[in-house]
Amino acid sequence: MLGTVTSGLVPMGVLLPDSILRHEAIAVLAAFVAINTIVYVTLSVAKMLPKVYVSDWLSTRNRRAETRSIHPDAPI
Amino acid sequence: MGLAIVGTAALGAVALWLAVAAGAPERGRAPSEGVLFGIWRVFYDTEMPAPRVLLAAVGVALLLAAAVAGLERRLLTRARRSEDGNRMPLAPRLVMAETRGHFAGPVTITVLIPAHNEESCIAETLASLLAQEPPPARIVVVADNCTDGTVRLAREAGVEVFETVANRHKKAGGLNQALRDLLPAQGDNDCVMIMDADTTLDPGFLAGATRRLTDDRALMAVGGLFYGEDGFGLIGQFQRNEYTRYQRDLRRRRGRVFVLTGTASVFRPRALRAVAEERGKLLPGVPGDVYDTVALTEDNELTIALKTLGALMVSPRECTVVTEVMPSWSGLWAQRLRWQRGALENLGAYGMRPQTFRYWMQQLGIGYGVIALAAYLLLILLMVLATSSWVWFPFWIGIGLVFTLERVVTVWRGGWRARLLALSLFPELGYAMFLNVVYLKGVWDLTLARQADWKHVVQPDTAARTGV
Repeated sequence: MLGTVTSGLVPMGVLLPDSILRHEAIAVLAAFVAINTIVYVTLSVAKMLPKVYVSDWLSTRNRRAETRSIHPDAPI
Repeated sequence: MGLAIVGTAALGAVALWLAVAAGAPERGRAPSEGVLFGIWRVFYDTEMPAPRVLLAAVGVALLLAAAVAGLERRLLTRARRSEDGNRMPLAPRLVMAETRGHFAGPVTITVLIPAHNEESCIAETLASLLAQEPPPARIVVVADNCTDGTVRLAREAGVEVFETVANRHKKAGGLNQALRDLLPAQGDNDCVMIMDADTTLDPGFLAGATRRLTDDRALMAVGGLFYGEDGFGLIGQFQRNEYTRYQRDLRRRRGRVFVLTGTASVFRPRALRAVAEERGKLLPGVPGDVYDTVALTEDNELTIALKTLGALMVSPRECTVVTEVMPSWSGLWAQRLRWQRGALENLGAYGMRPQTFRYWMQQLGIGYGVIALAAYLLLILLMVLATSSWVWFPFWIGIGLVFTLERVVTVWRGGWRARLLALSLFPELGYAMFLNVVYLKGVWDLTLARQADWKHVVQPDTAARTGV
């Protein structure tokens, strides 16, 4: 009852007034969180997608010149 | 040192904050009102960041990830090609030259199991070892001040027991004593596996490790991939999800090692001898010791030591082990605090070297993550407390869905329980926050130079552990 009356007089949230959401500090916090969120979601998407191994197509320097096996006569 | 990491992360956050504030963001405005399906009156807000902000954030993220990965790869390649025996005695090129044309016998594996009152799990561990195909050449239980039935159970299982003498340095000290005894007689291919008493090997572990070590004589260590045992409800599932993601990350790195896990890793004797040789010179610690007895997380320390010496290491997908999960929040807290403090102390001991660069970046990333997640939760809290009616943000809901999808995709192999938990998103955010608090506590303790203790968590012998 009292809640209805007060909310009719002053716009109220549950505990804090609605108006603080329009405060500049909150706007900066929101933008800060927004940018962080985008950064993290980008990393998440990169983690989710199949990985591309660029070096598989490019590198030619890793060709073996000798066997790496513990058996000296093993094929390369 | 810990403060430096948190300070740097905070500095990054402040810089971003100032940049955002300087751009004079639009103040909040009232949400629009719409009618959904002709029935529900809903409030919504189509607000989303400006395209150039979006683009910049995406760009920064990709650039950071690429820079860290690129630098790590460059360092690895440099180690592979190094011929500087004074700075990198384990560099592949040098090892190849030293072992060229000489067959030192087939690869054998001697297993060392450090044990301190492990009667509840030692029998199962030994059974999993003896069931391996091929079985290990030798199994030695390193019994350190055991007052329970560990030694008896080990003898009954028919394996050797090495009892430590006047050891005051716990696991690392016990292993140092056993290795001092064992290493001198080992040939070049007589490898040593160190494994925890509460860990069981999956079939194929030893065969996989033996094949890798046979195929590549420059390979100095093979690390296990661990995943969590079944059971222990929600807290068990959180940890299993975490380990499943870690395994996935490693597979995507094609086995390039983060940490040679103490749960089970195989080393070539050359690598362990080189570490003992370089302690007090290139590496911190007491000359002649394989393990640094000061380090709280000796597996992490040994990994950095081997990386510093240029060693080639791999965590192949066929080498998996099942390890215990912490059954309670207090157990998890103690375990993670030890890992966190250990990691920070190791970084402090090694300082900023090319080989520790990635680990520093990891710590910095966690530090920044604490700030980002806290800011996010603060904003949500403010919104909930100050909004009189529910407002939908389509853009941010979309972002939330992408996050949720990522959580689910990355634990897909963990089964339906793992997927369900990931799908609910917020419990996992809560778990991440718990780990963040542990991180902060670790930094805090380190700053105050508190004495951390090596807490031994006694596990209940439940049906889930014994499989009965």
